[in-house]
Amino acid sequence: MSLLSEMARPVADRWRELVQRWLSRRSPPSRSVTLDHGKLFIVPSRAGMGFLLVVVLLWLLGTNYENNLVFALTFLLVSLFAVLPVHTFANLSGLQLQLLAARPAFAGDYAEAEIAVSRSGGRAREWIQVYWSAEEGASLDLFERSTAEICVALPVVKRGKVRAPRLRIESRFPLGLFRCWSWVDLDIEFLVYPRPIAAGPLPLGATLSDSESSDLAAEPRALHGGDDFAGLKPYQPGDSLRHLAWKQYAGGRDLYNKEYESHVDARLWLDWDLLGGRDVETRLSNLCHWALQAEREQTAYGLRIPGIEMAPSSGPGHLQRVLTALALFPVRGGVSGQSK
Amino acid sequence: MANQSELLPRESLLWIFAAQFAALLPQFALLPLWIVCAWAFAVYWRLEVFRGRRDLPGRAVKLLVVALTVGGLALSYGRWFALEPMVALLAVSFTLKNLELVSRRDAFLSLLLAYFVAATLFVYEQTIPYALYGTICVVVITAALAAQLGHFSARPRRALGLSLRLLAQAVPLMLLLFIVMPRLGPLWAVPQNKSGASTGVSDSMTPGDFTRLSKSDKPVLRIAFDGPVPAPEQRYWRGLVYSDFDGRRWSQGFGVDPREGGVVRWSGREQSLPEVGPRYRYRVIQESTNNPWLFAMARPISDTRGVGETSDDRIIKRGPVYSRFAYEVRSWPRETLTDVRELDDFQHRRNLQLPRGGNPRTRAWADEFRASGLDAEEISARVLKFFNRSFTYTLKPPALGVDSIDEFLFGSQQGFCEHFAGSYVFTMRAAGVPARVVAGYQGGEWVDQEEYLLVREYDAHAWAEIWIAGRGWQRVDPTAAVSPERIRDGLQNAAAEEFMADSLLPLHRIGILNRLRLEWDMVNYRWYQAVVSFDSDKQQNLLKKLLGEVSPLRLAAFIAVPVALALIGILLWLWFSGRGRRLPPASRLYQKFCRRMARAGIARRPGEAPRDFARRVRVEKPALAPMVELITAAFEKAAYGEDPAAQKQLRRLLRQWSPGANFMFLKTVGAGRIATGE
Repeated sequence: MSLLSEMARPVADRWRELVQRWLSRRSPPSRSVTLDHGKLFIVPSRAGMGFLLVVVLLWLLGTNYENNLVFALTFLLVSLFAVLPVHTFANLSGLQLQLLAARPAFAGDYAEAEIAVSRSGGRAREWIQVYWSAEEGASLDLFERSTAEICVALPVVKRGKVRAPRLRIESRFPLGLFRCWSWVDLDIEFLVYPRPIAAGPLPLGATLSDSESSDLAAEPRALHGGDDFAGLKPYQPGDSLRHLAWKQYAGGRDLYNKEYESHVDARLWLDWDLLGGRDVETRLSNLCHWALQAEREQTAYGLRIPGIEMAPSSGPGHLQRVLTALALFPVRGGVSGQSK
Repeated sequence: MANQSELLPRESLLWIFAAQFAALLPQFALLPLWIVCAWAFAVYWRLEVFRGRRDLPGRAVKLLVVALTVGGLALSYGRWFALEPMVALLAVSFTLKNLELVSRRDAFLSLLLAYFVAATLFVYEQTIPYALYGTICVVVITAALAAQLGHFSARPRRALGLSLRLLAQAVPLMLLLFIVMPRLGPLWAVPQNKSGASTGVSDSMTPGDFTRLSKSDKPVLRIAFDGPVPAPEQRYWRGLVYSDFDGRRWSQGFGVDPREGGVVRWSGREQSLPEVGPRYRYRVIQESTNNPWLFAMARPISDTRGVGETSDDRIIKRGPVYSRFAYEVRSWPRETLTDVRELDDFQHRRNLQLPRGGNPRTRAWADEFRASGLDAEEISARVLKFFNRSFTYTLKPPALGVDSIDEFLFGSQQGFCEHFAGSYVFTMRAAGVPARVVAGYQGGEWVDQEEYLLVREYDAHAWAEIWIAGRGWQRVDPTAAVSPERIRDGLQNAAAEEFMADSLLPLHRIGILNRLRLEWDMVNYRWYQAVVSFDSDKQQNLLKKLLGEVSPLRLAAFIAVPVALALIGILLWLWFSGRGRRLPPASRLYQKFCRRMARAGIARRPGEAPRDFARRVRVEKPALAPMVELITAAFEKAAYGEDPAAQKQLRRLLRQWSPGANFMFLKTVGAGRIATGE
């Protein structure tokens, strides 16, 4: 049995690949797609098969009782079944899907794409579903309006640039007996930030010189309360209020005064090397968490990862740049601490 | 995709219950009361579940309910292979399904079942009202299917409208299928609808039977002639022959009914009657009587399947007539047949049989005839003359005692056809002439310029036949001797006063109502002829009429041409309804521009104003900006300023410019033109 499944897997893969290739020929990726007969598929749904079964039973009833009214009903249902795909098809045909925005997301979360679905012409469209996975889909009607903007979510696991698979748009209107669908590629690419993983409090003032061992850094708690709080000096009566570290105070610390005379770099650096001993993804995740935390606390923060250094700052634009840098960090994989 | 385990919304449930109710409503009267109550209770329970006041029943409860209903069905019916228990089973399955109506799948299942239940209705009745009701059922069930999608579709008007529209579109194809789909015979024996007591003329005659029949105006037979039509006084539709008299009750006697070993020549066997010579050809459509006997004139032959001729000159059906039944008959008037065999000994004795005692005066009177040496016809003439002298024809004869014949003939002298026929046959037999009572219908009413003869229940009649050596059985109608108008004009005129006094409302006096009734009957008749009795013979005839000859090629064309036309129609509809209103020229040009921009990688968002779009282009694709701004300005001028020059300019710009092409060159050209244009 396992042999059979071993043999079946390449076949299934090959088949999937063929289908994908065929699909991409039929409906190439584009930010705006209009559904037409070349892109739409239609088959009876399971309820439709049940309906056909009822039709067969009715035909048997009519034949055995030689009952023309039962025959008439049978033929009426057959004809209804023949008319339905036209309506189901017409419900999707001519619809235009356009990607408005692909919002960035954190790994392990859902990435959302904003899509505009619009119809041309006066024909109302009903009960249209757009989804990647059935649970996170959006359903819409174009009844009195001609355009609807929807949000479709895709679960993302890995950071980086994630190309969304083909989006499924489906309708069972009007009776649910036929399923008409299309796989459209709206050329959606999500920027996925690393999954934020807490790594202790912000490494305020904790800058490590290259010479220092990573053992120290492995204990972020040891940083807390050490002499290395060179940038901040406990507040003493008489100190200038202008230099009070309000933000840290708001963060629940004691009252400190910012020590500007100091030559030590007092700014918050989210440093790769602070997190020695962990693998790449964990480090990125921790940095991501710190960046979010710092942004929440409105502390200026900088980023130092191999190859990139960003000066401390804050604000949504800065956060986005930092997170993007983290997301696009070229090295992947579990263990890179040893390689460093 | 719809989640399969999704709970059904309120509209869904209500629509399902409405569909079930519509499909079950006509069956409520036939189903045992407990099933109706169980269904109603299941609906109530399910609604309570929806309101959150109750849970769906657990496994144990469900099993208990199944056991109870199966037991109930067994108790109510006692047999399974019949129509009613099967319909009851469907109704019960509705009920049980309601107790676990959870997912969309259950909903679909329930509705598909509803279609089937609606169809079983037609097995009971195929009349126009039932057909209309069935149509309503299908509309409601289809609407319920549509409503399962929820949202707009669940609104009553929308769902019903959608359902009507879809079904209306399905009708043409349905008609085509109805005409061309071959009708196979029954594939296996199915239980027939056996509900209802037998109606009409019964297999025995006791005083009062025909008086009862005379009170009903239910149609019984519809007879259409092909060729000559018999005169009114010849229209005797024989159904039963009573040869056995027990002093009060006339009956067929043992051994006549095929179930008791009676000889029946089923159709398809060799024909003993001449194919040539005068005869009547007619087609009888008989309403359900739940009895096997059919009605025809004397000496009938039928080629219809399942119809046979009996030895006493009648036709019968193999099984009871449970639903409307049509049969073709050829009848030879008795006068035209010369080859008459002798009455065999058994028949002779049977048709002279009398009860051992009773009615002494009649016997004595008959003995006088026998003694005087008169032949059968002369005796008959004497008896009829006696009737004619002092008897009255009435629907309300006085009650008679033990010697009923004596009391009638020499006492009350008031009676109905059954009294005349019975006493006549008694007298003839007592006088030594073989005689028998024949029951059936007499007369009928023409409908719509003699298209067909409508025979109603009140046309039920009893008359006599006597055996005359050398001529065979001859019909004698003693009632005609008393009341000739009964035979000529029918009961309504013969006993007009009594007839009207009996009916609840004197409707017969109102001419227009009577006309309407006949019109309605004609509609029914046409319906039956065209739809209900449309069989493979009629199908062949119709196809021949439509196609000239029935060849596969023509048949294929007959099917393919309408289907192709429908397809073209649908495609045109798709094309026109999907295209939208025709935009003004400036907007069309602008859309062309937007399409080009989309190809170049920057698409205008839906609802984005042209000016905003131009601004966005300037940010995202600065290289395209100058031209885009020119085009936008020209479009705004053309569309809002209604400036024809601007429109021309827009067209010119678009003709030359494409965002993908060499932009620098075109830019200069475009700019030059604009410069000259302004």
